[in-house]
Amino acid sequence: MHILLVEDDSPLAESIATAMRSRGWRADVSARGEPVPASLLQDAYDALVLDIGLPGIDGLETLRRVREQGSYLPVLMLTARDGVEDRVLGLEWGADDYLVKPFALSELLARLRALVRRHELRRSETLVLSALRFDASARRACIAERAIQLSARECIVLQYLMLKTGQVVAREQLTALVPGWDAATSDNALEMLMSRLRGKIEPGGVRLRTVRGLGYLLEPAAPA
Amino acid sequence: MSGLPAERQPSLRRGLLVWLLLPLVVLIPLTTALIFGLTLRPALDALDRASTDTAVALSQIVEVRDGHASLPLSEQTARALRADLVDETMFAVGDGDGQLLGGSASLLQLAPRMQAGQWRFFEAKIDAKPIRVAAHGMQCGARADQICAILVAETLGKRSAVERAALLAALSGALVLALPLVVLAMLAVNRAMRPLSRAAAEVELLTPDRLETIDVRGVPREVTPFVLALNRLFARLRAAAAAQRAFVSDAAHQLRTPLAVLRVEAAQALATPHAQELRPALERLHAAAERGARLVQQLLALARADGTALDPTQRPQALDLAHLAAQAADRWLQPSLEAGQDLGFDLEPAWVDGYPVLLEELLGNLVHNAIEHAGPGARITIRTRTEDGRARLCVEDDGRGVPADERELAWQRFRRGREAAGTGSGLGLAIVADIARLHDADATLEPGSQGRGLRVQVRFAPRAGHGTT
Repeated sequence: MHILLVEDDSPLAESIATAMRSRGWRADVSARGEPVPASLLQDAYDALVLDIGLPGIDGLETLRRVREQGSYLPVLMLTARDGVEDRVLGLEWGADDYLVKPFALSELLARLRALVRRHELRRSETLVLSALRFDASARRACIAERAIQLSARECIVLQYLMLKTGQVVAREQLTALVPGWDAATSDNALEMLMSRLRGKIEPGGVRLRTVRGLGYLLEPAAPA
Repeated sequence: MSGLPAERQPSLRRGLLVWLLLPLVVLIPLTTALIFGLTLRPALDALDRASTDTAVALSQIVEVRDGHASLPLSEQTARALRADLVDETMFAVGDGDGQLLGGSASLLQLAPRMQAGQWRFFEAKIDAKPIRVAAHGMQCGARADQICAILVAETLGKRSAVERAALLAALSGALVLALPLVVLAMLAVNRAMRPLSRAAAEVELLTPDRLETIDVRGVPREVTPFVLALNRLFARLRAAAAAQRAFVSDAAHQLRTPLAVLRVEAAQALATPHAQELRPALERLHAAAERGARLVQQLLALARADGTALDPTQRPQALDLAHLAAQAADRWLQPSLEAGQDLGFDLEPAWVDGYPVLLEELLGNLVHNAIEHAGPGARITIRTRTEDGRARLCVEDDGRGVPADERELAWQRFRRGREAAGTGSGLGLAIVADIARLHDADATLEPGSQGRGLRVQVRFAPRAGHGTT
């Protein structure tokens, strides 16, 4: 992964960049927002991490200029303020996610992975999680190179879960996806479907968790 | 409002009543006496005049012959002269030498010295009976100093009756005047004081969180300066509170970036190959960084909870606690899994009017507490309900629980239980209490179902403008 990190506090920027590099990612650091649009044109980045409080033009203005030049790069905003206004503003202006300092390193990395995965699907139509691959256009899943048999309903549900990897997906969201199901009658049907799906995909190094009373969560079996 | 010794304090109401009623206390008896006197005097005069008529009649009967006076009075005439329905009457006529010419001898002894043509009226006693006497001097002989005395007397029956009637008239007049005046004075004072009580009630409603400006309209002009002074005081308090919040907030914000470095570096150091003997130190460093991060987050939450209601730009909005709880799942599922716990949900719609960031913080603190304190293997459930129009948020676990004697203290800032694990700040429940209070909600700690673990319930007030259906 190739990340552009825009953060004016150099110790924090160094810490994050070092942590990313030790995981085999490439990380470039910029202390100001002005050069960011040009940098994005020069290098192929997978994601932009953007602090809101920057000297010169701030993170929101930088984001506006990035979007203005037509870039759909995933953007994760960092901020020292957690008021609802900043969050709403950032998301309205086209940020994909939002983290409040002082964040945990693991959370920053996980969110970035999720952003990049979603973004890649938009481009390549192929979702990957551990050894599990899902081809969205062909509606086909395989573990390593071995194809697994999925029903049409299982395909719909799996695609959605892989898009939302690491996030809890409510039962209602899943039943709403499946044609012909309504919330009242489908709880049992969904449970059976999920249990079948779990048997088919968990050999691929993923875990499909049930969140009691709420829904499901798809994640890698061992944290990367 | 109470608790002050009322009798030592000056009272407007009492002062007004005293100045209104004190003149009445003096003036009404004075008026009563005046009415009494004015009614009685003419009546008594009329009675005296009846006696003088009798005396004049007697004087016409007296005959003077050869310098000697006599009273040729028949028994019938005498009876007629003495006739009276109420009183005993008597008369006496004496000649110039004090000899009785007719009537009662004992009455004649009461005769004063009189000039001719003179009238005297006085009270006296005969046989221990009080009487009223009309006496008249009349020349009855050749000599000028030969004065006959004519006395007419009667007992005091009519006079007493007249006095009683006059007293009754005066007293009833006073009563008719005094009673309505006293009642009206009290009513008027109460009525004048009512806007004061209203203003006081309005001040009474204010809390340190809600120092709103008091509306001066409807407040009496005399009280307006006080209300305006109060309003200025509130404004200064709001400004002071805002400055303090800004300080806490700025300080916490300044801490955020270095803390982020600490967290990232500590986590990174643990993930990087390192000498085995460094491990405990790195783990402590990591834990301390996590704890510092949380403390800053909580201090900010407290500052925000204390300040939200004072901030005119913040308004509560309608939100569903079930939705809030479902959103919190992403954040809390991983920590609960790492702690070996089963985090579950039982969500039904529960709408409240509230501040989303604060309610998120409230829920976060409850879940964090449960994860920290319930211990491995515990089952934690987040529940939302609407009962009797009141939304309820409940976080329950079946872990260690909190001893009964510590439950009330648990709400205080920086208070930590005896059994608490080492990492808490003791701020979590204080934040919950602050945010609940801001939302007119009650937060309670109780044992979980079957007496095990802990259940924290937050019951919100019924929503304004929404029925309790």
